[in-house]
Amino acid sequence: MWQYEKKLQYPVNIKEPNPALAKVIISQLGGPDGELSASLRYLNQRYAAPCREVQAMLTDVGTEELAHMEMISAILYQLTRGLSMKEIKEGGFDTYFVDHTTGIYPVAASGVPFSADYFQSKGDPIADLNEDLAAEQKARVTYDNILRLTDDPDVRDPIKFLREREIVHYQRFGESLRLVTDMLDSKNFYAFNPSFDKK
Amino acid sequence: MPVLNDKQKLMRKLQQSCFALAEANLYLDSHPTCKMGLEYFRRHKAEKEAIEKEYTEKYGPLTAVQSDGTKKWEWVAAPFPWERGEN
Repeated sequence: MWQYEKKLQYPVNIKEPNPALAKVIISQLGGPDGELSASLRYLNQRYAAPCREVQAMLTDVGTEELAHMEMISAILYQLTRGLSMKEIKEGGFDTYFVDHTTGIYPVAASGVPFSADYFQSKGDPIADLNEDLAAEQKARVTYDNILRLTDDPDVRDPIKFLREREIVHYQRFGESLRLVTDMLDSKNFYAFNPSFDKK
Repeated sequence: MPVLNDKQKLMRKLQQSCFALAEANLYLDSHPTCKMGLEYFRRHKAEKEAIEKEYTEKYGPLTAVQSDGTKKWEWVAAPFPWERGEN
């Protein structure tokens, strides 16, 4: 089970609203490499992990991703406070506004709604952990691209924190993959699926 | 750097302490017998518990069940952390 804590993992305090920037950053909520897909990926995959170390890693990283989803939502919330209709139109936010006003809804920057198509849960820990390593790198690239698109230090600071976490998670998933392969046949890691086949 | 009020300053200390614990947690998941990692975890756990106690006594519950539940439901008395200046 889970319990909510009334605090952000890292502070988000943005002085200047910027609907055009919100329209881009929303991809890290509802886009293909966003925090929602990350949390659902790990929290669904964990049942097929073959040892407690990897079960713990997927549980704990998946839980941290929920905290990152909250940070992204806080950024979006603060970037869209007190907007005039003029600012909404000039920022290109009108296409989101018409369906969601300034509510938080998980879509990609292109406007495509969130989909479970963004992740897999394959029931094979080597396949799953390789996906997880790629997912962390893809999210890191998205944060790099967001950093190319804004000069606002209030936004850059929490985005840089989230970017760093992708790198740490990549490291931890690399260790997890090593733990799994150490349990297998070193002459052929793919000889059997440790979460399905009887040895 | 923005000027922080006392509540935010204490929240920063709590966030730093919780972050050290979160890092130790993930590291220990893949290194469960690392002596240095375990020592790091214990040190920051004690620190986090002390800061959290001070924070909740001064500014109210961080989880719903930390509420006292006496005259008024304390959980709804303090703002949620997505508001600017409240995290």
